[in-house]
Amino acid sequence: MMDVGRHPRIKLLAYSEIEHVSGFIGNFNVKVRKKARYVDENDCTACGDCVVDCPVIVPDEYQQGLSSRKAIYIQLPQAVPSAYLIDMDHCLGNNPIACGKCQEACEKKCINFDMEDEILELEVGTIIVATGNEVYDPTELDEFGYRSFENVITSMEFERLICAGGPTEGHFVRPTDHQRPIRIGFIQCVGSRSDNRGNPYCSNICCMNTIKDTLLLNDHYPDTESKVFYIDIRAFGKGFEDMFKRSKEAGVKYIRGIPGDVWEDPVTKNIFLAVEDTTSGKVEVHELDLVVLSVGLEPRKDMKHLQQLLTLSSTADGFLLESHPKLKPVDAPTRGIFYAGCVEAPKDVKESVTQASAAAARASIILNAGKVQIEAITAQINTDECNYCGLCAKVCPYHAITAADRKLGIYPEVIQAACAGCGTCGAECPTDAITMRHFTDFQIMAQVDSILDKDNMDKVVAFACNWCSYAGGDLCGTSRLQYPTNVRLIRTMCSGRVDEKFVIHAFKKGAPLVLVSGCHFADCHYINAVTWTQKRVEKLWNKLERLGIRPERLQLEWISAAEGQKFARVMRELEEMRKKVTPEEVAETIKILEREEAKALEKKAGKAKKAEEALQTA
Amino acid sequence: MYGEELRIGVFVCDCGLNIAGTVDCKAVAEYSETLDDVVAVIRNKYTCADPGQNEIKKAIIEHKLNRVVVASCTPKIHEPTFRQCVADAGLNPYLYEMANIREHCSWVHQNEKAKATEKAKELVKSAVARARFLEPQIEAEVPVTKAALVIGGGVAGIQSALDLADAGHQVYLVEKEPSIGGIMAALDKTYPTMDCSI
Amino acid sequence: MAERGKFKCLRCGHEYEDKYTPGVPQERACPKCGSNSVRRIEEKK
Repeated sequence: MMDVGRHPRIKLLAYSEIEHVSGFIGNFNVKVRKKARYVDENDCTACGDCVVDCPVIVPDEYQQGLSSRKAIYIQLPQAVPSAYLIDMDHCLGNNPIACGKCQEACEKKCINFDMEDEILELEVGTIIVATGNEVYDPTELDEFGYRSFENVITSMEFERLICAGGPTEGHFVRPTDHQRPIRIGFIQCVGSRSDNRGNPYCSNICCMNTIKDTLLLNDHYPDTESKVFYIDIRAFGKGFEDMFKRSKEAGVKYIRGIPGDVWEDPVTKNIFLAVEDTTSGKVEVHELDLVVLSVGLEPRKDMKHLQQLLTLSSTADGFLLESHPKLKPVDAPTRGIFYAGCVEAPKDVKESVTQASAAAARASIILNAGKVQIEAITAQINTDECNYCGLCAKVCPYHAITAADRKLGIYPEVIQAACAGCGTCGAECPTDAITMRHFTDFQIMAQVDSILDKDNMDKVVAFACNWCSYAGGDLCGTSRLQYPTNVRLIRTMCSGRVDEKFVIHAFKKGAPLVLVSGCHFADCHYINAVTWTQKRVEKLWNKLERLGIRPERLQLEWISAAEGQKFARVMRELEEMRKKVTPEEVAETIKILEREEAKALEKKAGKAKKAEEALQTA
Repeated sequence: MYGEELRIGVFVCDCGLNIAGTVDCKAVAEYSETLDDVVAVIRNKYTCADPGQNEIKKAIIEHKLNRVVVASCTPKIHEPTFRQCVADAGLNPYLYEMANIREHCSWVHQNEKAKATEKAKELVKSAVARARFLEPQIEAEVPVTKAALVIGGGVAGIQSALDLADAGHQVYLVEKEPSIGGIMAALDKTYPTMDCSI
Repeated sequence: MAERGKFKCLRCGHEYEDKYTPGVPQERACPKCGSNSVRRIEEKK
């Protein structure tokens, strides 16, 4: 921590928040609000004279509320920057009648009640998101009595109670009588691995943290009798199994079962818990002096705002989504942004540090290169065709398209470096004003034509996204999974590229069956572009039905790069469906769609004629 | 490039027996010759190997090719290889297209040799159809501001900031709380070393 | 907020009821055949 404060190339902005982010890889502009501390950060020597006279007492967050602090305070003795600040929500103010005592006590005169928030503008080439996690609050799990019984504490409170710098100066005592507890129970998986309350995932750190706690207790107080109530002990890291063994050898009892009921002796304030030991099937009651709830980790509740600023998305568990869960676990889907620590998933100190170094190395690649190549697969707007509708900017998962303004005559613009090339804008644009480079309408329509100009009744036209479905097809190949020969794949970078008109065109050219396939929602390589695919296919189903074409002839499938089996199964199923489509049905479809096209052309011609007439009369 | 006469070269790969074991590559090559705008067709045992790549380069110059289609494996493996190959011969790498007649054909239709050959022909035809509309693209290059922002001053943010700064980069470390340290600073001892967290 | 709606699988034809949130696209799979070609169908009134 001290090294950060001292480093000549690190500018530390503590007590600060990100207000706004714009730009793209290599060129981010960031606005930071540096909140007023009311104490000059550079002049304060952290002598603590100001604290003595402060009359306001509030719970100390750093000590988990187990002790108190004043309204003027320092977060922890080793704080970096080493400076006090005033908690204005509780301070009485500097009006001499009200208070202002700290200002009098400060010899260096570094307290300034007129200090204001500062807005700083930074220009950076890359961003590392390391905003961490929150700790689960077990209040809702009332069977453990966290709020009802004082001698039930969380593992975070345990840390403060056993710490030499904690509220009890390291004398480990229990809250009710300030006596040292001998019989201590640890309940595992509190807030983790539950589908009903808390979180469904494993929080990764709690097993080892409890094992560490039992060893620590045994070290400090060898007469401690620890009991650990667990589902499974997950001691999977380097040296972890050894620690688990040592804990057991030290006499710690591991009981497989999570207590169903916890109650308190009203006199002794001891805690009783009833638990079924699932190895013996017997229900036992344990009397304990103190119970520690081994609480899990959660995503930060204030992440949504930062996520929006950086156009990041999260996985189902609420932690941030990586560019690829195996191959790019440190990269965000937005280029130039990287993850470090628990913001990406729960992890321990070693894993956090590992990922942090990896993120720094990934960021260094960009910074060292000094310039970045932007792949030429990006969208371009042809302003002659644009009608300012703004849909492109709305659907862009990367916010890479600037807003249009009809009144001011401002066309939308694609920020080339921010565009990732999914093509969703191109598919949504109602006037075809967007050219998706290297995956143009012409190129894709030419493929559709080429597939259907001979033996159209035998073909299944399948659009497949580059990253998942197409790769799923590749895996089918490498695994030699066999399927019928009639499917013809058209590769696009993302299923979001598949324009309604591609599908309609395929039917008009006599396709019996069309498939749109992409990544599972969680795997989408373009944040949420796949959700637009789904919306578009749903719209198409409605349209087909309205026109009298069976919606079943348009199929939708999410196939990941790992689902070769699924790919083969879908291809077999589609072939069965294709066989049931009759030439008469296809002929009827072609007739319907040609009639529709004629109607649309007529409408367009009518409009043009009207416009011309209006021009002439004017 | 517009208005220029299309001169497409098609390169059919046997991939040893991987493709040629199922697909009649000779038939695919002959069929390719009948396609409009195709002026050169070359069949190779392994197109991705140096001799195969050299044939592509040679053909680009000899036949003045302005589009190249390779019928071989998935673009996920060799698209970068062949893009580089055509670029070496002076052709814009985006004027290259691939027909996947291995993963999506010979390997998945091993028991239907005739049908697989027909499919391979059509895959080439479709790739040629797309290739006609390919356009040269220039990859843009943007400069990078030589500074990094680290959001969050917990153990991960601290480590990232220190590593980047030690590597010589300017770093801004933004922390919401009055002090850095995060959750780690509130822990007493941490596993597996059982040492102090601060 | 979540509502209940009727869904139809366009692969196997299976119809079933499930929760959905209007306006929020959600990945769906037919509980019978596993296909993602699942369409929400309006109740015929």
